[in-house]
Amino acid sequence: MMRGSVCIWQRDMLVLKRNLFSEVITVLAFPLTFFITFGLGLKGYIQDIEGVPYAIFVVPGLISMTAVLGAFDDASWGMWFHRIVQKTIEEYRVNPITVTEIIVGKIISGFTSGVLKGITVGLSLLLLTGFQFTLLFLSVYLIFIFFGCITFSCIGSLCGTLIDKPENLGRVEAVVIMPLIFLAGLFFPLSAYPERVLPYIKAIPTTSLFDGARIALLTGKVDAFYLALLIASAIISFVLAVRVFEKKMHG
Amino acid sequence: MENEIELRRVAKAYGSLLAVKDVSFSVQKGTVFGLLGPNGAGKTTLVNMLTTLLKPTSGSAFVGGYDVVREAAKVRSLIGVVPQENNLDRYLTARENLILHAKMHGMSPSSYQRRIDELLSLMGLAERQKDFPNKFSTGMQRRLVVARALVHDPQILFLDEPTTGLDPQAKRAIWDYFLSLKGKRTLFLTTHNMEEADFLCDEISIIDNGSPIAHGTSAQLKEMAESARFYEIEVARNAEEYAQAFQRLSIIESSFLQDGSIQVCLKKEGNLGTLVEQIDLRDLKKISSREPSLEDVFLKLTGRRLRQ
Repeated sequence: MMRGSVCIWQRDMLVLKRNLFSEVITVLAFPLTFFITFGLGLKGYIQDIEGVPYAIFVVPGLISMTAVLGAFDDASWGMWFHRIVQKTIEEYRVNPITVTEIIVGKIISGFTSGVLKGITVGLSLLLLTGFQFTLLFLSVYLIFIFFGCITFSCIGSLCGTLIDKPENLGRVEAVVIMPLIFLAGLFFPLSAYPERVLPYIKAIPTTSLFDGARIALLTGKVDAFYLALLIASAIISFVLAVRVFEKKMHG
Repeated sequence: MENEIELRRVAKAYGSLLAVKDVSFSVQKGTVFGLLGPNGAGKTTLVNMLTTLLKPTSGSAFVGGYDVVREAAKVRSLIGVVPQENNLDRYLTARENLILHAKMHGMSPSSYQRRIDELLSLMGLAERQKDFPNKFSTGMQRRLVVARALVHDPQILFLDEPTTGLDPQAKRAIWDYFLSLKGKRTLFLTTHNMEEADFLCDEISIIDNGSPIAHGTSAQLKEMAESARFYEIEVARNAEEYAQAFQRLSIIESSFLQDGSIQVCLKKEGNLGTLVEQIDLRDLKKISSREPSLEDVFLKLTGRRLRQ
């Protein structure tokens, strides 16, 4: 039934494996720079946040950011490249697989890439900070990462399906994705926001991901509202990505 | 004989632009069918509809007995497609490109490995199978695209200008392979290469502005041009000026330069002497009579050349 998705996923993983070294370097550079400048550079000037040292406070957010940006980038640029540059989507479409299998394959590839990148950065940061966590806390945290990566992979696939010009794809990342991540309290606690702004910030799906994931990793608690909002975001973005791709392909 | 491809009043519109207008024809099983026409005539749109990439705006089309809209997956399991562009995956090696295609067709490694070896060898790519396609010449990429379309041994092959960019030797090898499939497989070919259509096709449909304007065997189509006489004139200099001067004569149907010589179509009632009088004899190198070509047929039907 999903033969096409498996073929596409296997193809994407083969290419990822082939470029593993350059991928690892690229994926580590961005969050490690953030960690050094904010986590280490500012830790002497910032008091512990809710009893957590600042360098530790930013770690869950940096891992989450790497994972979801990895999922978004892989899905959006991957879809755009295969659709516009290589035109391999057209080749996939003359095979006995459905367009749904194609988009699901690309979403799973984006998701896998995001999770692998998150794990790479996570391991590096945990080694650097010597942060101790329990396996239970980590597994709850991974639930948030899982749904976050699905959501961002779907949003990426949607952008790669709808956007034809590469500069516009870059703009979406700069103007929409990055602000959504930074607004979600990546480097500061949500309590820093004014009371009247806070409900709006909490309604953003990225807040569910970043704040919810941080709470999970540091305390092992699951915020039910955050998790429900994240799951709803994943389902909605999945349905949207699949429907829009199907509509676009069937002209 | 059984029809392998059938179109019934198929049309495709992009907004107000009608790319394909009310097209009906059929292709018999085991034959090579050629769709001949200039760029923008609607050839690729027709192929895209038959290969399920596009849905017709109206009408119906059947491939291998299956409706291209309602039974698209079944159609795709029967067909192999060589698109106009070399849409290879540049991050996979030549062999991996073929393996991915085989897997998408649900082939097992034991069945596709040997088949891929055969095809790489046939296309002269066996030595380069571990290289990435972006290291290949255009001709080699083209051969790899043709090999990819053949991996699953399709019942029906759609070839959208399959030999574009190939050198004469490679072109001939691929033509010979296509000819060897005649009787066993059905080939649907689009081209603006007259020689290719003439050499390969059992039946040809000439299409212009989205509509077929003539249909038949190569010989039948050429008969359409037999109300005129065709000459090839070689001159030592001023070939362009002579071609234009001939065009102004009332006895001339058409006159144009091709590969350095002037191709002239003289009306049946026209006199060759009148034509020769226009040439300074010091410039004249050769006049020869020739058989009409498919290019002449197209010119006669539309007043335009295929490649303008």
